[in-house]
Amino acid sequence: MSASALPRAFLAMLRRDVVLAWRRRGDALLPVLYAVIVTTLFPFALGPEHALLARISGGVVLVTVLLAMLLSLDAVFRGDLEDGALEHMLLAPQPLALLMAARMLAYWLVTALPLVLVAPLLAYMLGLDAVAQPVLLLALLLASALLDLLGIVLTALTVGTRRSGMLLSLMLLPLAVPVVIFAAGAVGAAQQGLPWIAPLAWLAAALALALVLAPLACATALRIALDS
Amino acid sequence: MNAFKLWYHKLGSPPYFYLFAGYIRPWLWGIALLLAAVGLYGGLVLAPPDYQQGDAFRIIFVHVPAAWMSLFIYGVMAVSAFIAVIWRPKMAEVLAMESAPIGAAFTLIALITGSLWGKPTWGTYWTWDARLTSELVLLFIYLGVIGLYHAFEDPRQGARAASFLAMVGAVNLPIVHYSVVWWNTLHQGTTVRYFGPSSIAPSMLWPLLVMTIAAKFYYGASLMGRSRVALLSLERGKDWVRAEVAGAPAGG
Repeated sequence: MSASALPRAFLAMLRRDVVLAWRRRGDALLPVLYAVIVTTLFPFALGPEHALLARISGGVVLVTVLLAMLLSLDAVFRGDLEDGALEHMLLAPQPLALLMAARMLAYWLVTALPLVLVAPLLAYMLGLDAVAQPVLLLALLLASALLDLLGIVLTALTVGTRRSGMLLSLMLLPLAVPVVIFAAGAVGAAQQGLPWIAPLAWLAAALALALVLAPLACATALRIALDS
Repeated sequence: MNAFKLWYHKLGSPPYFYLFAGYIRPWLWGIALLLAAVGLYGGLVLAPPDYQQGDAFRIIFVHVPAAWMSLFIYGVMAVSAFIAVIWRPKMAEVLAMESAPIGAAFTLIALITGSLWGKPTWGTYWTWDARLTSELVLLFIYLGVIGLYHAFEDPRQGARAASFLAMVGAVNLPIVHYSVVWWNTLHQGTTVRYFGPSSIAPSMLWPLLVMTIAAKFYYGASLMGRSRVALLSLERGKDWVRAEVAGAPAGG
């Protein structure tokens, strides 16, 4: 295998996943629609009081994005499992971890990025201060990438099972707790005019660690779940 | 190979482990019940009421051992899970998977007794205290491991996947605990004070320690019983299980 084969395999995998998502771009918009609907429900449940909504806006948007990502996680490997492409990835000469890294990046681009882009609008509708908006965007970029990495590792573990939807949320929740705490902590600190860089630095450090470990863990998990 | 090493390797064999577990299980039960009786008598009768909390504090003789066991069992499960994922011996998978429900039960007991204690002492059943929240997350991790194990058709494959999840959880657990502590101090100061290990009177300490050891023995007994049942189910169709089931007295 020549030295350029690995980047080529990575790009081919990435291109395939993004093109497949683009062919069904309606599906990719569903998580965004879901996030909009959930955020819209909060004012109805809590009343239109501006101060209350502004105070919870950061947390609501973060949790909504997390839930929207969680709902679409189920589909990450389903198509490939059904048509047998997943087995070929396991058999491919390229390392499985590399292919999984491409899959994670593609999933983030297709599912998480639209959510991150629509999040400032949702936060604005709930009345988040303009000062905290960039912090929310930054926190969401880091948190969504981290959840994308962790979520796909867990999804890989459930590939061989039949009913994985609820199970996946049970498995992801403990991993999501620190992510939500630090992301929401940064937004909350920014809203109160406090320094907010520390929690984001923690998130970024965790993301750096996960970028290295998650593809390897995902490859191991897939091999366990498909028993090869 | 010396005798201990030989015995250790024999334990890896399901029929031998089945016999061994059946042999030591009554002893573990006996010691656990005896120690629990001594500990409860010491805790509920001999120990004086607390000068601030009155008799409400007596729940710690159940609560604290359960909370310690919830972490201890997770440790045992994580080590077995690690061995199960790396070397794949069947007994490590069985021990890891059969530990999970016991650990979840202890976690639930710790949460329930904690909230019962919290009502008279703090005035509320639940507060988002750092330790309570971490314990709740621990329960979710346990439930995730159990759920993943049962989601697979093949129990060995499920055991390996759930073992992997248990390892991920072992890495995650300290992160959850410290992030929850950070989150809690960000929102409010510490309003809850627990007993420090040094500030507890000896008359209250010894029943607590006895109860802790009793809980350990109970865990051992329960694990042996559960593993025996799991082995019979996993190895059904093998000759030794047929012989075991056929040889059992009717109704036994």
